[in-house]
Amino acid sequence: MLELRGVTVRYGAVRALEDLSLRAEPGGITAILGANGAGKSSLMRAVSGIAPVVGGSVLLDGQDITGLPAPARAKLGIAHAMEGRRLFRQLTVEDNLKLAWSFGARRVALPASLAEIYDRFPILKEKARTPAGLLSGGQQQMVILSCTTIRSPRCLLLDEPSLGLAPIIVQQIYGFITDYAARSGITVVIAEQMATLALKVSRHCLVLRRGRVVLQGPSAELLQGSDGKALAASYL
Amino acid sequence: MDDFFFSLLLAGVSVGAVYALIALGLNLTFWTTKTLNFGQGSLMMLCAMLTVWLSSQGIGVALAVLGSLAVVAALGMFIERWTVRPALKASGGSMGWVVSTLGFGIFLQGMAAKYFGSQAMAFPDVVFSAQDYVTLFGQYVSLQYLVVLAVAVALILALELFVRKTVWGRAVHAVSLDPELALVQGIPVRRLVLGSFMLSSILAGVAGVLIAQIGGTVDPAFGFDLVLLGFVAAVLGGMGSSFGALAGGLVVGILSKLVGGYVSTAAEHGIAFALLMLALAVRPQGLFGRPEVSKA
Repeated sequence: MLELRGVTVRYGAVRALEDLSLRAEPGGITAILGANGAGKSSLMRAVSGIAPVVGGSVLLDGQDITGLPAPARAKLGIAHAMEGRRLFRQLTVEDNLKLAWSFGARRVALPASLAEIYDRFPILKEKARTPAGLLSGGQQQMVILSCTTIRSPRCLLLDEPSLGLAPIIVQQIYGFITDYAARSGITVVIAEQMATLALKVSRHCLVLRRGRVVLQGPSAELLQGSDGKALAASYL
Repeated sequence: MDDFFFSLLLAGVSVGAVYALIALGLNLTFWTTKTLNFGQGSLMMLCAMLTVWLSSQGIGVALAVLGSLAVVAALGMFIERWTVRPALKASGGSMGWVVSTLGFGIFLQGMAAKYFGSQAMAFPDVVFSAQDYVTLFGQYVSLQYLVVLAVAVALILALELFVRKTVWGRAVHAVSLDPELALVQGIPVRRLVLGSFMLSSILAGVAGVLIAQIGGTVDPAFGFDLVLLGFVAAVLGGMGSSFGALAGGLVVGILSKLVGGYVSTAAEHGIAFALLMLALAVRPQGLFGRPEVSKA
């Protein structure tokens, strides 16, 4: 379980997150919604340890990790797929995967881990020796997701996995994510701009605006209920 | 092949091997941080000077070399922590590290001049003396030259193997490509960067001892020109490539010795920089460098 207690993130004079609290339970997806600049990415960066947290605390399964540097958090099992399709572009697909595995939990042997990924995304096997930067957007997203799951994480943070992808690819990517979340039973947090999509796959949802939580609750209620108007309002 | 040409060639190969070592040292910090330690020259000088001083205090030469290498390794870490890291932290894309590393180098040079004097000091024989030689193709070849070449080639092969075959080598490459992503993936970026500066300084120290061995003397100003020539070798071979460093070093070494022998010794260094300008105009990524691959 991931828990944030009154977390404040500040970049110079700009406050990206303001006294934010949340609980993300394992075994289901927690969606973070909000417009551009609402603080979704800052929230994730605060958890993985690359944002300047000036107040509050971050807990993973009850352990306070606020003071830990990013590599130590990664070691504890936090896997963060950053916004903007970040991967090592000059390294081949397989080198990206191997590297992620090497510094992960190594719960499954490397050959078996790779075989599982190639089985799930056959195109990645074909492109194993291609520099990752030369792949299509969807294929890159597959590599990024695989780089997080190959680490056998305890907590998965996905920052806008649908960004800039064709609808059919988005469907495929989300199919993989929901499947993985159900199968592994770990804590999964997704930041998304596409509200309906995120609400459909998630169990719980938070809406951010200017670094604060303005709305939260079970996704099913937010999706159909009277809160629809409030949801729309938070984007305006 | 006449004797004169052969002796020039040999001298070129051996100083070229030292340039390659310097280039390799520059590459190491470039791998992790895309910065170069322009204080390398002073570390070379300091390592050689310390070796002379320690051995004059009655310490065995081998121990003196090891002790001096330990000192420059520590200085390398100091340089990362106090001259490079703050400069990189300052507003994004700052080139402050050029000035701060160069400045620290000049400071070391000044300290060396104050405490050891600015006179050239005779360098002790580390492995072989200048009189030891073997015969090769009917020519007398100084064993020192061969040792320098062997050390350079061995270090280059070792580093290339490390980068290509080990997980940590891949991690070093990853740090150079995207340090933030490396952090998030659990790679201890800080330690790798610190380690690269330490190893880079050790390489500078080794190069300093080797070239002092060939030249026979050291003085505080020694090293400054050398690091520039090492830089030319690195750019010529392709910044970041180990084989490039070796090739670049040998080209610079041989060409400058040939020009020195047949034209004028005054033109020795000039030709290296002419080569640099030519390389930047014709093949900016260097002999072994690869242009960046990327797609939006």
